[in-house]
Amino acid sequence: MTICTDSFVPAARAMAKVYGFPAYEFATMPHPLANLDQKQIDTCALELMPQVLRILGVES
Amino acid sequence: MTLVDAPEVDSAAIRAAMEYYARQDWTDGLPVVPVTESYLAAFLAQTSRKPDDVVLAMPHLNRDCTVRLAAINAAMAGCLPEYFPVVLAAWDALVGEGYVTRGIWQSTTGTAPLLIVNGPVRDRIGINSGGNVFGSGFRPNATIGRAIRLTAINVFGLHPHLLDQATQGTPAKYSACIAENEEASPWPPLHVEHGFDPADSTVTAMVIRSCVHIEARHTQRPEQLGLDIAGTIARTGAMVHETTSATVVLGPEHARVFAEGGWSKDVVRQFLYEHAVTSRADLAAVGKDAISKNTRWRLPAGHPDALPPDDSFDPVPALNSPAAVQIVVAGASNAGVSAVIETLGARGNPPSTAKVRDP
Repeated sequence: MTICTDSFVPAARAMAKVYGFPAYEFATMPHPLANLDQKQIDTCALELMPQVLRILGVES
Repeated sequence: MTLVDAPEVDSAAIRAAMEYYARQDWTDGLPVVPVTESYLAAFLAQTSRKPDDVVLAMPHLNRDCTVRLAAINAAMAGCLPEYFPVVLAAWDALVGEGYVTRGIWQSTTGTAPLLIVNGPVRDRIGINSGGNVFGSGFRPNATIGRAIRLTAINVFGLHPHLLDQATQGTPAKYSACIAENEEASPWPPLHVEHGFDPADSTVTAMVIRSCVHIEARHTQRPEQLGLDIAGTIARTGAMVHETTSATVVLGPEHARVFAEGGWSKDVVRQFLYEHAVTSRADLAAVGKDAISKNTRWRLPAGHPDALPPDDSFDPVPALNSPAAVQIVVAGASNAGVSAVIETLGARGNPPSTAKVRDP
């Protein structure tokens, strides 16, 4: 599965279309990522988990 | 201006065709030249390659550029048919350079290809190597580079805001094609330096982002001029990765300052390698004092991805070797002005140069 920051959603959708999967679903997180510290990254990862579990179809 | 020789045409029909192309997004934003089969045939007649031969494949995009598609976009860009062998050589050089097929044209970095033309084709089709060499006013310079950009957009689908994710991009994305001013250079030209015959015509392709000019009209001392250029190469903003690379486009006046001091290109390169340096303290001040263990990008010491610091040398070289600098002479012989082109991709390897082939 793919996780991208919200700034890259249009590019990710365009790339999915190139590969013939226009409805491919991404997990998205707020931009930016590159300048976050470890604690902020950990927080982002935790906030992403519900999206990741839903897209992977993990049963609760 | 006289209209005596102007062809009689229906201007509304021309505008309609141009607007149709614009509505299809087959453009870099400027009007493009409508292309008919007969006009396309004039381009294809300039090469012995077959129309379906692939000039560049982008497997990650499932798309190929063929000779025919390259010709259509060259014509749309405003090239004359006789420019097409140069466009094809540009594609060959880009393939040889290798970075293009690894997604660099989609990167936030926002690069453009720089094309440097050497040899007799410069005069044959009128590629500017003199005054305003990076500027406007010369059809081959304006349209050969544009042919590459239009192909990127129309064949590979690299539209901005979609597959082209450039954060800011560079004005060079419209066109970046120059010729070397071989006649005003005190040294062998770029293509001869890399093994071609002076009578060969070639295109050298590089991935570039910034073009930073150096004003130094006051000096006849090669050391002063060399330090000015070295300081520009080593600016911290350019230090994305562990080291950088550059093509120094010397104005003829600056080239003469070096040559009259007895400096060859290799001496200039060695001097720039030794003096394009930044102190560890200056790198630390901007948070670029460490190297990522995964990407080799610069980041602050203490970052979770940072390699342990290596304090065994200070200052830190901006270049990995003298060969990370290419030297070209271009521009007018009228002022002490040069440029540092910041290049991405291979560092220290020979540049990618391809021969312009006659049909």
